[in-house]
Formats: sequence, structure tokens, C-alpha cells
Amino acid sequence: MGILLIHILNALLYASVLFLIAGGLSLIYGVMRIVNLAHGNLYAIGAYVTAWVVGQWLVGAPTVVLYLLIPAGALAAAATGAIIEPTLLRPFYKRAEEYQLLVTFGLLMILEDVVRFIWGPYPLSASVLWSELGSIAIGDALYPTYNLLVIAVGGLAAAFLWMFVYRTRFGVVLRAASQDMRMAAALGINVNRVYVQAFTLGCFMAGLGGAIIVPSQSAVLGMSVDALILAFIVVVIGGLGSLEGALVGALVVGVVREAGIALFPEIELAILYLIAAIVLLVRPAGLFGRTA
Amino acid sequence: MTADAATMLELDRIDTYRGPAQILRGVSLGVREGEAVCLVGRNGAGKTTTIDSIMGLLPVRSGRIVFRGRDVTRLAAHQRARQGIGYAPEDAGIFPDLTVAENFQISHWLSRAAGDRGVAGPRELEERIFALFPEVRAFTGRRGLHLSGGQKKMVAIARALALSPAVLLLDEPFEGLAPVVVSRLIEAVTRIKAMGVSVLIAESNLMNAMRVADRLYAIDRGEIIFEGAPRSALGNVEVMKTIRG
Repeated sequence: MGILLIHILNALLYASVLFLIAGGLSLIYGVMRIVNLAHGNLYAIGAYVTAWVVGQWLVGAPTVVLYLLIPAGALAAAATGAIIEPTLLRPFYKRAEEYQLLVTFGLLMILEDVVRFIWGPYPLSASVLWSELGSIAIGDALYPTYNLLVIAVGGLAAAFLWMFVYRTRFGVVLRAASQDMRMAAALGINVNRVYVQAFTLGCFMAGLGGAIIVPSQSAVLGMSVDALILAFIVVVIGGLGSLEGALVGALVVGVVREAGIALFPEIELAILYLIAAIVLLVRPAGLFGRTA
Repeated sequence: MTADAATMLELDRIDTYRGPAQILRGVSLGVREGEAVCLVGRNGAGKTTTIDSIMGLLPVRSGRIVFRGRDVTRLAAHQRARQGIGYAPEDAGIFPDLTVAENFQISHWLSRAAGDRGVAGPRELEERIFALFPEVRAFTGRRGLHLSGGQKKMVAIARALALSPAVLLLDEPFEGLAPVVVSRLIEAVTRIKAMGVSVLIAESNLMNAMRVADRLYAIDRGEIIFEGAPRSALGNVEVMKTIRG
């Protein structure tokens, strides 16, 4: 029973981080109709900045302060997004999708090199936050308490985002701009401002995913591409542009991956790709996506 | 039409392109305060392009658009809306996943943010909308996706009014509607005019235009070919031939 609970918690842990990344990707696509291939880099920036602040810059500071500084990576990712959208992406909105993919792919390469340039090729860690919380006993096994914090943050982020999109004025404006940009502008909505806000929020979510996971996994070069691939599997399953889809997709990937690691570790990733392929064949817009 | 103190909206020899194709060629027209003006023409004559140019949804290559004495030619669409230009497009432009109430709220929040045009409060706004279209009250909780064609047109006009506009642009408001709904909308336009709001209607059906317009412009191949009273258009063989094809 204890082992089963640990597997469930691991699946939820993985799903929480994946939801933060894929939810941001989906939000950006839903509002701006742009597939941001550099989205994984925002996740990596979140991880690196938090690892650097907590594990290097302020090492030795009171632990409470370090915990409060976890969102530093998310804020750095959000700030990066707020600069990228109006300067690099906006000029390409009226061009064909291929140009948008090319520019975000270029951005992926640039941001990867920027991370390497700033922090070098070696992993960065903030494990003090992970070890400080210790473990709790589940049955006969021990489970890291920090992981429960990550699961809680993922759940809270999903609830916050749902309320933000469906229960606030800005959410109504955001949904209006995502459904008909021309009409939104004709009703007085500054669509450019909505775009930069949505992009910044999406980047914040990706950055939060990186920031919250870095105490239990080091920040390493290449983590951005791994995250991007998994985020795409999530949105393919759930439906690109749908937050509900991102949540369900993240849960599916989390559970399948955890089961895969336990039962058939050699083909764990292949199973995920297979599920994504089946969804694409049977329901091309994803479980919660809407066909045009 | 020559500009005077009562002119709310004036187009001065505007040229507009869609991609490489020139659609409007030196279009000039004017709408006075509290006046209903119809722009009639066949499909493809340039009516929607004219409306889109006024709203800022298409860039004007040359010429000027003056609204309440201010040159708005280079303003973005959202700035024109906040200045007091209301717009209901041909397809109504109702946000499909938003409820009718949310569709209204957007205009109202933004009109309050715009500030200085004596904007109505929520209750006054509701009264204004429901006085014009009492039937809308029954489906304010329904999502845009689930409205009929006539309901969409009503919501689109009411939503534009929620911005407290000085000029209302209606693009083919009667197209595809049953005659009884057309009469209902014509009655609404008459009441909007009585509120002091100027109305510019793009319309392909001359008979509908005759029922609502104080003045009429005819457009063909991107050029204004007639300006005058609706009755005089009926007596102009060349205009009638062009409009009816």
C-alpha cells in the first residue's frame, strides 16, 4: 500500500512540474497562436536562476529566506518573456507559421548558449532546500517532504490559473483576445498589451516549474529540450491551447511515466510517444482541444 | 459632403489596399451628429473595407479619417474604439466561448477605463441595452456559440453601444435575417439615432437602406458614385443599375 502511494505521489510530482511547463505553453498558444519552441528554455532559466540564487549567491543565508527566494527563477523567466515578446516575436505574428517556428527555434539555440555563457557547462544545485525538509514515512518507505511541496505548488498553480482565466476581468479580456483578436481590438482592448501579459504569465509558469524542481534535480544544460519534448506530449494529448487539457495531459504523462519506470523502464518514453500518436490519430486536436 | 461643426465622422479621399490589391479609391464621405447614413453597394464593392478602414482594422494608405474634429487615421483600432467609434461586424463578432453578459462586460469595463464620455454605470447600461433589445435579457447567461443569427446581431449592436459610442458602424446588420428580425433591428437603429448616436451602415439591400437612412452613399469598385437622399437614388437609373447589378 505504501509503495503504491509513493508511486502515486511520484506521478503527481511529475505531473505538477509538467503542468506548469505545458500550461504556460498552452496559454501562450491559446492566446497568441504561436508555438514557442523556446518555452523549455524559460523552464531552464527558472531552474538556473533559482539554483544560482539559493545554491551560490546567497548560500549560508537563513533557510526561510532561501525558501522565499524559490520564485526568483520564475520572475527571471517572466522578465525574459516580457522582453522577448514585443521585441522578437511581435514582428512575426502576421507572417506565416514557418517564420514563427524558425524564430522561436533560433531563440531556443540563443537562450541555450546564454545559459552556458552565464553559468558554464556544470550542473547547478539548490539541494539544501530539498534536504532541509527531510522525509516522511509512508508505510515502510521514506518520501522526501519537499516533493509534497512541489505537488502542492502544482495544484495551487492549476487552481490559481483557472480562477485567473475564468473568474477575473483580465481573464475575460484574455479569452476575448484569444477568440477574436480583431473584434477585441475593435472593442477597445489593447491586444498588444494582452499578448505581452499572456506571454509573460506563460513564461512565469515555465520558470516556476524549473524553480520549484531544481532543489530536487540539478539544473543542467539540455534540460530545456527534454522539458519541451515532454510539454509537447502533454499538449498533444490534452489539446494545444486548453488549460484543462494541459492538466489532464500532465496527469496522463505523469501516471504513464511512473508506471513505465516501474513496469517497463526500457520503453517508458516510447509508450508516451505511442499514446501521443494514438491521440493524434483518433482526436487530432487533443482530448480538450477544439478543431478550427 | 462638406465638413461642418456637426460632422462626427469624415473620410477624406482614402485609399485602402488588401494585400497588393487596391480596394478603396479616393473614398470621401461624412456622417453628421445623430444621422443615419447608409453605404450601399454590391458584394465586393468596398463597403466592408470602408468600415474596416474607419475602425482601424485595415491601414489606410493615403487620405484622412477625421472623427469629432480629430485626425484618427494613424490611431490603432483599440484607440479609435476608446475615442467613441462603435463597431458591429458582418459576422457579429460575438466571442463564442464568452457568455452574452461577459461580451457586454468587456465593452463596459473598457468604456469606463476610457473615461470621459459620460459613460453609463452598470445599471444604466443594462437598462439601455434591455430597453433597446428586451429579448436579450433571456439569454445573457448563454455562450456566444449558442446564439442564433438574429440574437448575435442584437448582442453585437448592444455590445457596441455599451462603449457609449458617438458613431456606430454597422456592417451588413440585416444580412441573412428573417424579415421580422430585420424590422426589429431597423426599429432599434431608429432608437439608437434618437439617443444622439450617429450611425453608418454598410448595406447591400437598397430597400433596407431606404427604411433606415437619412442619407445614402453608393459605392462601386471602391469609388463613391452617388451621394444624396435615399429617394433621389431611386430615381437615378445609373445608380440603381450599378447597385442591383
